[in-house]
Amino acid sequence: MDNKGSNGREEILELANNLRWEIGVDFHDKLMESIYENAATIAARSVSTPDKEAVFSFDKKLDKILTSPVFGFPIMFVVLAVVFWLTVVGANYPSSFLASILIDEFHPVLKSFSLSIGFPGWLSGLLIDGGYLSMAWVIAVMLPPMAIFFPLFTLLEDFGYLPRVAFNMDNLYKKAGAHGKQALTMAMGFGCNAAGVIASRVIDSPRERLIAIITNNFSLCNGRWPTQILIATIFIGGAVPAYLAGIVSAAAVVGIAVLGVVLSLIVSWTLSKTVLKGEASAFSLELPPYRPPRILQTLYTSLIDRTLIVLWRAVVFAFPAGLVIWLVANVNIGGESIASVFINWSDPFAILLGLNGVILLAYIIAIPANEIVIPTILMLTVLVTGLTDFGHGTGVMFEANSTEVTAEILKAGGWTLLTGVNLMIFSLLHNPCSTTLLTIFKETRSVKWTVVSALLPLALGFTVTFFVAQIWRLIAGF
Amino acid sequence: MNVMMKDNCETCPVHNLGNLKKLGINMNDFDFVVALAGNPNTGKSTVFNNLTGLKQHTGNWPGKTVTRAEGGFEYNGFKFKLVDLPGTYSLLSTSTDEEVARDFILFGQPDVTVIVVDATRLERNLNLVLQVLEITDRAVLCLNLIDEAERHKIKVDERQLSKDLGIPVIPTAARLKTGMDKLSNAIYEVASGKYVCKPYRIKTKIKELNYAIETLSKKISEVYPQVTNVRWIALRLLEGDQSIIDAVKSGDLGTIKEIKHEIDGQSLETELTA
Amino acid sequence: MIDPLTSLIIGFSVILLLVIIFYPGKGLVARFKKNKANTYRVLIEDSLKHLYNCEYNGINCTLNSIAGSLSISADEAAKVAAKLEELGLVVSNENGLSLTPDGRAYALKVIRIHRLWEKYLADETSIGEEDWHHSAEEIEHQMTLAEADKLAAQIGNPVFDPHGDPIPTAKGDLPGKKGKSLDSMKIGEFAKIIHIEDEPHYIYSQLVAEGLYPGMQVQLIESTKERIKFLANGEEVVLAPLFAKNITVAPIKDERKIEGTFKKLSSLKPGEKGKVLGISRRCRGQQRRRLMDLGVVPGTEIEVELESIGGDPIAYRIKGATIALRKSQAENIYIESEE
Ligand SMILES: Nc1nc2c(ncn2[C@@H]2O[C@H](COP(=O)(O)OP(=O)(O)OP(=O)(O)O)[C@@H](O)[C@H]2O)c(=O)[nH]1
Ligand SMILES: [Mg+2]
Repeated sequence: MDNKGSNGREEILELANNLRWEIGVDFHDKLMESIYENAATIAARSVSTPDKEAVFSFDKKLDKILTSPVFGFPIMFVVLAVVFWLTVVGANYPSSFLASILIDEFHPVLKSFSLSIGFPGWLSGLLIDGGYLSMAWVIAVMLPPMAIFFPLFTLLEDFGYLPRVAFNMDNLYKKAGAHGKQALTMAMGFGCNAAGVIASRVIDSPRERLIAIITNNFSLCNGRWPTQILIATIFIGGAVPAYLAGIVSAAAVVGIAVLGVVLSLIVSWTLSKTVLKGEASAFSLELPPYRPPRILQTLYTSLIDRTLIVLWRAVVFAFPAGLVIWLVANVNIGGESIASVFINWSDPFAILLGLNGVILLAYIIAIPANEIVIPTILMLTVLVTGLTDFGHGTGVMFEANSTEVTAEILKAGGWTLLTGVNLMIFSLLHNPCSTTLLTIFKETRSVKWTVVSALLPLALGFTVTFFVAQIWRLIAGF
Repeated sequence: MNVMMKDNCETCPVHNLGNLKKLGINMNDFDFVVALAGNPNTGKSTVFNNLTGLKQHTGNWPGKTVTRAEGGFEYNGFKFKLVDLPGTYSLLSTSTDEEVARDFILFGQPDVTVIVVDATRLERNLNLVLQVLEITDRAVLCLNLIDEAERHKIKVDERQLSKDLGIPVIPTAARLKTGMDKLSNAIYEVASGKYVCKPYRIKTKIKELNYAIETLSKKISEVYPQVTNVRWIALRLLEGDQSIIDAVKSGDLGTIKEIKHEIDGQSLETELTA
Repeated sequence: MIDPLTSLIIGFSVILLLVIIFYPGKGLVARFKKNKANTYRVLIEDSLKHLYNCEYNGINCTLNSIAGSLSISADEAAKVAAKLEELGLVVSNENGLSLTPDGRAYALKVIRIHRLWEKYLADETSIGEEDWHHSAEEIEHQMTLAEADKLAAQIGNPVFDPHGDPIPTAKGDLPGKKGKSLDSMKIGEFAKIIHIEDEPHYIYSQLVAEGLYPGMQVQLIESTKERIKFLANGEEVVLAPLFAKNITVAPIKDERKIEGTFKKLSSLKPGEKGKVLGISRRCRGQQRRRLMDLGVVPGTEIEVELESIGGDPIAYRIKGATIALRKSQAENIYIESEE
């Protein structure tokens, strides 16, 4: 091949090194300068712009409005509020529709079918009451909001509005040691944390990207909203006069979401000043030109996509989780189910936190999907309290027909206002679901940061619930 | 490659719509590999989707694509494997976020590199174009977003540009699906050797730089007379690129086609991309 | 159930304890790490480095200078020197101590790791320049050559450290000294800073505090026994000659010599335009490359397009694209204004 052998090769490298020393540190700078000079010459020969001022004048005008000190923030809040409102309102109907089809209609059909072909009871329990039900819940709770929220977001993105939001928010996020684009990944986190984590890719500075990934979990995701609303309605709405119940419980839920945002900023700041202090940081934010979004295509791709993700998640994570949940509730050791053994064992610790063993167990076995926390809690509560007239039989997850029934079950399980409040806090501050964790690992390629993302919110959750519980008890005097 | 045997289409009409067949992900035994490079947010994925019929994520936001995606299309009886790359500003920096694209263009040895540029910001995009032209002499410039350019009354003289750069320049509006057939034809012509590119090479007025590049290039050609893009190798050595240093050390430089760098074979990311 | 008051007290104590243990920089863990250094190996390697520096700068080295540079007693220095001789790394002669070829190779290895690490910290991390030296002083005794080579490969095999010192190659090659010290410049002469000596630390930190760094254009204004006055990127700096000696400069070749004060991009108001003269060397690594990739190179025209609500970041029109930069970045971009 080469005639001079390895001598020649070494000579090349040596020469290169000597030349580099001679040129000094500026080689890259000078080269880039030359390339751009060439580019300018070539471009000048073939590009003609009519009148400089006319170019992009529409964009400029729109930018002036969207980032103006007067209208900038109000427009942003209105846009985001509309997106959330459409999601919440729009998701209600399809959600209950899916739930009635998958859980109320199809579940009994499946059960009787398995009976008719002679499935052993434990097998149909495991597969249908466990795996299938949990899968069905995830689909019913998660699919509609995802299918509404993300297409809307994608439309905003396609139009070019999102970078402007990042531009407006950067000042605030800079103070927290983060990137303005984190405002967007956080907003996406309200839809789904895994999606928020992936969206962090658009942050091209390593440190700020890690911060955005680790703190995304502080955005209350779609899977957790129903829990918040239910618990707030029962316990907080129930603690005030009836005519205030609606507004107070709504305020409580929003309060939790805001607490999440505030915490995410505080944690971002802390991370950037401590653990991530040394990570490289390079800010750049391009404001692309506005382009008319292609509505139909975006809706189509985005919709198909979300559906696929939710289905994938349901099969890969929720189904196995359902199996485990069924097993935990139905396999007995020494006459007691694994669930009650664990609940009794962990109760003292959980009570220190103002929670109870049922909640802890539910959060452990429902790591794969926050959506099934409430059904699991109800099932476990019925299991430990020995209530009989609820649900579809022991060890089967269920959702009560009405808020009142849920309240009745929970109160029978010994829940107080404090349990409710702390559950709301804990639902915000605990480890991300396994889909999100897997995504974090894929995005960071680092076990260390995945572990940090899991343990940090959990530690925070334990700390906050602990202090809330103790101070509450101190004040309440028992 | 059996180009000459199959090449029975000298007389076909150039713009024959029927010639383009979308192959999606079915692309066994393709004849040519085509890379889609370009700055972020210039419409690479949109072009990719148009040619292959796939649904890669697009979005008005730089940095949408982060891993490479592959798909296929057939044109004039030839099968092309198309590789969509993440957007890059430059191939010269050592930053890792641009590694995927850089490594593929350098070591993946595509038969044709399509450089997708934003017609409304040609000058800025030419930075990358000029760098790509240092590496390869088989490239096609896809002058995308030409509809946007028209909307803003920016005119680009594609013939002049093509003459200056020495490669085919095809104006397209990927979103409206215009120019796709001409683009596939240009890809086909360059791949099959019907169009011979004479790529523009970067010139510099800075004496030290010239001296360093020339001296090193001369040395490299002495040792590796068969290497064609000597200047690029020299540039990379002066930037301290380890993969090129390794290639020089091991003597692989002469056979760079074979050191297909380990590029994660994550073809077709249908992953959730928000 | 434990009563709430007790558990609250326990809770607070646990948190306090954790803070005491892990507090960055001052906590027990951090202190423990700091105290681990200063072993025997460190002494050997540091004295080799010192001897090499003497050789490079053409000064004689003695036991006393070793003791001084390592801040150890003369007795200890003698012990270290004896050990070095025993290992065949150093020989003593009438001028004091000098390195054997083995000793030189060893010293160069340590220097390579030190400078590579500083370069790494400067380019790939956000660690401030006042911490580079200290961190490199630790790493140089821990890293192996193979690890250093790997690090070098990752960061593009740099040939200069951030102070402008050449980094020895893996084979131990190092170019000769270049340039002259700032205090030997003539009045009115233009030059470029190519190196700032990072030892002794009190001088270096003073120079850093003055905002000086390699790559700056300087022009000498006044030079007396008491003080040396010069412009550095257009800003006036006054130093004692002793301090100015630690700055090495070289003539400017291709670049334009710029008279007067340098204007910064951050000083432009909305609607105003400027032409880039260059990016300050203070902006390094990824950040610098990104700016250049975005088209911020000498000659580029930049116009202020849009201020965000708080006035920071500001969006600029650069080669047809709108790009937002933070104030801290815009301060590192030098421009000349355009009418
Ligand atoms: N008007 C117009 N818009 C286009 C055209 N081509 C692409 N777009 C839009 O430009 C935006 C960017 O397109 P992408 O295909 O995601 O760009 P990309 O080059 O793959 O971007 P990265 O993956 O981030 O590097 C999208 O909103 C497209 O709809 C075109 O020809 N005309
Ligand atoms: Mg893309």
